[in-house]
Formats: sequence, C-alpha cells, structure tokens
Amino acid sequence: MELTEALHNNRYTIVDKWVVYTLATYQATDFLNKEKDRFANPIGSTIRTSLKTLFQLLLKGGDGAGYAEPLSQIMHLRSVQEFTPSQAVAPLNAVKHIARDILAADKQTKDLVKDLYDFEFAVDLAVLAAFDLYMQCREKVYRIRIAEIKSGAAILTDSACPSKALKNIRKINE
Amino acid sequence: MAVAKLEQLSQSVVQGPSLATGAIPTKDWMDIPVVFKPGNYAFPAKKDKVEYLNSQSGLHFPNARDWSPEDDDWQLPENWKEIIINGLRERLEKFRSLKIFMDCCVRCGACADKCHFFLGTGDPKNMPVLRAELLRSVYRNDFTLAGKVLGRLAGAREVTPEVIKEWFMYSYQCTECRRCSAFCPYGIDTAEVTIVIRELLHLLGIGINWILEPVSNSNRTGNHMGLQPHTFKDNVEFLADDIENLTGVRINPTFNRKGAEVLFITPSADVFAEPGLYTAMGYLILFEHIGLDYTWSTYASEGGNFGLFTNNESMKKLNAKMYAEAKRLGVKWILGGECGHMWRVVHQYMDTMNGPADFLEVPKSPITGTVFHNAASTKMTHISEFTADLFKHNKIKVDKSRNDYLNVTFHDSCNPARAMGLLEEPRYVLKHVVNNYHEMPENTIREQTFCCGSGTGLNTDEIMELRMRSGLPRANAVKYVEEKHGVNMLSCVCAIDRATLTSLMSYWNPNVGVCGISELVGNAIVLDGENRAELDEGLRTLL
Ligand code: SF4
Ligand code: SF4
Repeated sequence: MELTEALHNNRYTIVDKWVVYTLATYQATDFLNKEKDRFANPIGSTIRTSLKTLFQLLLKGGDGAGYAEPLSQIMHLRSVQEFTPSQAVAPLNAVKHIARDILAADKQTKDLVKDLYDFEFAVDLAVLAAFDLYMQCREKVYRIRIAEIKSGAAILTDSACPSKALKNIRKINE
Repeated sequence: MAVAKLEQLSQSVVQGPSLATGAIPTKDWMDIPVVFKPGNYAFPAKKDKVEYLNSQSGLHFPNARDWSPEDDDWQLPENWKEIIINGLRERLEKFRSLKIFMDCCVRCGACADKCHFFLGTGDPKNMPVLRAELLRSVYRNDFTLAGKVLGRLAGAREVTPEVIKEWFMYSYQCTECRRCSAFCPYGIDTAEVTIVIRELLHLLGIGINWILEPVSNSNRTGNHMGLQPHTFKDNVEFLADDIENLTGVRINPTFNRKGAEVLFITPSADVFAEPGLYTAMGYLILFEHIGLDYTWSTYASEGGNFGLFTNNESMKKLNAKMYAEAKRLGVKWILGGECGHMWRVVHQYMDTMNGPADFLEVPKSPITGTVFHNAASTKMTHISEFTADLFKHNKIKVDKSRNDYLNVTFHDSCNPARAMGLLEEPRYVLKHVVNNYHEMPENTIREQTFCCGSGTGLNTDEIMELRMRSGLPRANAVKYVEEKHGVNMLSCVCAIDRATLTSLMSYWNPNVGVCGISELVGNAIVLDGENRAELDEGLRTLL
C-alpha cells in the first residue's frame, strides 16, 4: 500500500482525532465535540470543517497554496481567544503525531511510517502559514480598535470637552 | 512513542487537556480562580466620575477609589461583606423576580449552550446557568436553610474577595441579551441576575469607565457624549447639509420647539458617529417627506440609557429626563429612533419607575390616524412601528431600485426583539424599500437572535478580542448568508449594533457593511422637488 492511500483510507479516524485534540484545548470540550448544528456551535463546526479541508490539501502536498483558506478560519478563531501564540497554532502540529500513531498501530501500514517525511513537511508549511495568519488577525484587531477610536466613539470617554473635540475632528476631516 | 510526543506537545504548549490521558483536569468550577490580564477586562471607572455620580441627587455610587482588576488587593471597603449581604437582602425583598430566579432553577441545562459568550469562548462559567450560580451560591449560603446547614454540598459558598472578582469578570461577560431566558422552561432571566450582580458591585465602588462616564455625561448634558446643545444642533444641521448636497432638497429641522406635536428622541450616536449618521439622515428625509410636526431636543438628546447597565436608580433618572423634556415642550407624544436598550427600559421598566406618563396623549399618527394602543402607558412609539404603518397606508413614495446596490439581511437586535417583541415591523419596512433580501438561519434570528457581543456597555476597545469572540455566533450566521446569497449589508435597529457590528464585520466578514433601516428608507424615498444625481452608494455617496 502507498502512504497516500493509507492516509486517505484512514482520513476519517485521523481527522476525527485531530478535531478532538484541537477542541480539547477548550474547557467545554464535550459540547464543542457533540453539537453538530453549525449555527449552534460555531467553534466546533469551524474547526471540524476547516481541518477536514486542510487534511485533504496536506495529502496533496505541493507548495501549500490553498492552505490559507481553511487555516484563516481557524486562526480567526484562535487569535482572539485566550491562547498564547504557540497555543493557538500548536494543535495543527498534532496531526503529524496522530497520523504516525495510527499508521504504526496497524500491521499493514506500520512500514509506511518511514515515508511520512513529505506529509510532515506539508504540515510544517501549514504551521508556518498559520503563524502568518495569526499575526494578520492580530493586526486586524488593532486596526479595528484604531478605526473605532477614529470614528468618534472614543470621545465618549477620555475627553475633557467632547463638543470641542468634535470641532477639532471636523477640522481634521475638512 | 507518538503518544508520548503528543502528550508533550499538549503539556508544553496547550495547558490542561491531553489526548493521551483524556480531557481536561476536572476541577469544580468554584475552585477555578479568575485571572485578569490586559484584554480580558474593561477599564475600571475613574475615581472622579464615580465621585461625581455619587454626589448627584437620586444616584448612589459609593466607595470611589483608584483600583485595577489586576491588583491582588481591590481595596474593598472594610465592611464589604456586610454591604453585599445587606444589598442582596434588600434586592430580594424589592424584586420578587430575583427571589424566584434564585429559587426555581432546576439545573436542567436548557440554557447552558445558548449564550454567545459560551459559544465564542468555550468557558463553562459563561453558561447562563453557571453565571447565575455565581450569585445563587452566595444566596444559598446566607438566605437558605439547606445552604446554611449543608454548605458546599448544597451548592452554597461564602462570599469572599475571590467571589467578588469572579462576579466582576462574568457579569461583564454578559450582555444581558436574554437569549438564554428564551430557552428556560421557567422563564428565568439570567440578564436580570447579571443586572443585580452589577448593582451589588457598584455598592463596593466596582464598575467600568465605558459605562460610568456616559452615565455621568448624560446626567450632566443629556447625552452620552457630553455634547452641549449648540454642538448637537450643529451636527444635525450638518446632516441636513449633506442631504441637500445629495438630493437638492433643503431640510430645516427644529430644536426644543415648544408646541410641536411630536418629540423625536434617538441615540446620540446617530448624530455624531458613522454609520449612525446615515440612519439619522434617513429620519430627516422621512419626516420631511410626510410633513411631520416634530422637534429634536438638545436636552433629551440621548435615547440610550447606560443607567440600565449600572443600577436601577440611574436607569430611572436617565429615563425620567426624556419625559421631563416632553412635558416641558408640551408635545403630544414621543417618537423613538432606532435604539436597542432605550426600548428595553421604556417597554419593561419605565411604567413602574416613572409611569404612567399621563400628561401625554396615546400616540396617534397624524398622517394615517392610527392610534398606537400598545404605547398607551409609555406614550412612546418605535420608528419602525411608525414607518410600517405609513407603508401600510401608502403614505410613502419610494423607488426601491435605489437600494439595488445592496443585498440585505436583518439582525434582530436583542432588546427590540426579546424585550419588546419588535419582530415583524422592521421586516415589513424592509420589504417596502429593498428588492434583495435574505434571512439568516432560523436559530439565529427573531427570538433566538444572537447578540452583537458588545451590548450593555461592553462596546469599548480595550476588550476587542473578547468582543470578537462573543460576536462569533452572529458573524458566523452572517457569513452563511454572505456565501449563500451574496448578502453585503447587515441592517438593524440599534445604535450600539450599528457601531459594534461594523467592527465585528470588519473582522469576520469584511465585505459586509452595517446600516440602520431608516437609512434604507431615506435612500428609497422620492422627495418632492428633488434633484438627485446617481447615488451609487445611496446616502453614503461622496459627491
Ligand atoms: S443574557 Fe445573554 S449574555 Fe447573559 S447569560 Fe444570557 S445569553 Fe449570555
Ligand atoms: S434553563 Fe432555566 S431552569 Fe434550566 S438550568 Fe437554565 S436557568 Fe435553570
């Protein structure tokens, strides 16, 4: 059996474990795993759908184009949740270990473990791309904060006389 | 081998859960302390604001001081425990609903997964049932026999400084949206539990600046911004200038005009901040079109009532101001703009606090003759009800195609939807002014609508990450209609929503804009004598 074929055959088990692992980084693990309605459980469904898509792309290998779409979904989530940068990205790495573990446990696929280099390299590329996306999301949050301040909302507080401040803003805009 | 490595990955970077050993190390929720760090709490209220508020008649904001949630010692007043227990006792006696909410939860869990904070954070303490339990545990300890005898076995615990910190953390991770209550078989309203927790915290001088400063501004000048009359007037007139540029029609709104038939009150954000400005332009165009005899007020220049987010005394005082102004001007009734929590206060609390407004008349549309009996006591009618009635009687001339550059969906803002049942009117109005309209999925609209994630005064920028995650369920449903139907405009009838959904969309769905419904109405209206260029972006077009 070819490695790609073996990974493909085991895709449900691998993705499932990957999803479970990722959702275990939240305290409400059980709920996030169980609830299948995508509107009633946006974290769970986003992680599940994105990891599924990403896994297909990892199997294809190549230069990693296309990773950005599913990764961006995941990073939009995790970059505004209470994770450190490494915690936000780490679960992506887990698929290497999960795949290796599953192949090694089966007599038929045990020998393929040594061929995992390409797959693991693809995962490495995904992790690097994820880190860029993580930073993009953080920067987006900062830009949104600035946009809110500029829109005038911040006059609400921190301004001695809003009437005067508003006049000044108008001048700048004119 | 692999499993060991995987476990190491968990331990080195992912705190807590581990695939190899199974899930999270389980601890009782009572034993998990809260940790404050930059970004997960809103800034505390400035000492001088709290002092000012406490010095005002009818208001009670004691124990002002400089403090930070990150400090170990919150410098609670010496008799803090007594203050809390007495404060709770007083409220249990005063608010019958609170006593019921404390007693009748059967922990069925129906509400548990309905809160957008829970769905966006995965933090169990954001389950409504646990949020209420934060207070209920203290109630059990001091006010029930079982709690006194059995203590923790009966889910009771003594109030400690740690509990106070936990209250602060989680009562400011609740937008009082009432989604959870829509699912509770007993009608327990966790929002009201949050309201009481925040009230109790204020007794200890604990509150956030983004709420208390607007309250103090409103108390002083009549609006959140602290805008003085001339600025408020100037701003509305700037909008009239913009309308003249776009349509060639000059509108001359009046201010503080005694004897006008109707007093119009809207959130001040509509006259100073984008995208509310366009909604205000919509009001001006509509009133001009139907020839309404109305006036703006530079004193009742705020529909919003951040008092609701602090304590019942300040909510009452800020609400009373609108009625005092209606009385002073001698109007017949009040027309209210697109605001969220103003309507919650008017619809649910006004009558008990300040009503009935006997000096006003039951609102009657001077254009159609319709009497709004639903406002028989508060004498205040919602702009969407008023506009829907105008459409029903064919009193508005529109060219729908002017909104064809948009593909619209409608976000039911929590307060109008769940606190006053305003579900059909905005949709009816939309039907008359837009051709392209799509609803979001059923379990995310109407009574089940998801909050913008930043209501109840949580729309401050220092907690932007928190706002982005609590707004996820809403954004997720918008994404769906964007992908499926090409929706590019999220309409709503709430000023806080207009501001906060704009940020939320910038993060999650950057191709979707946010607008008020009256903006779309104003853009579709064909004014008498207009001389209108092609406006590619409606009222937002820069000429
Ligand atoms: S009122 Fe809204 S924010 Fe508060 S607990 Fe209920 S669902 Fe959550
Ligand atoms: S749905 Fe009502 S009774 Fe059930 S746990 Fe929630 S608050 Fe308690």
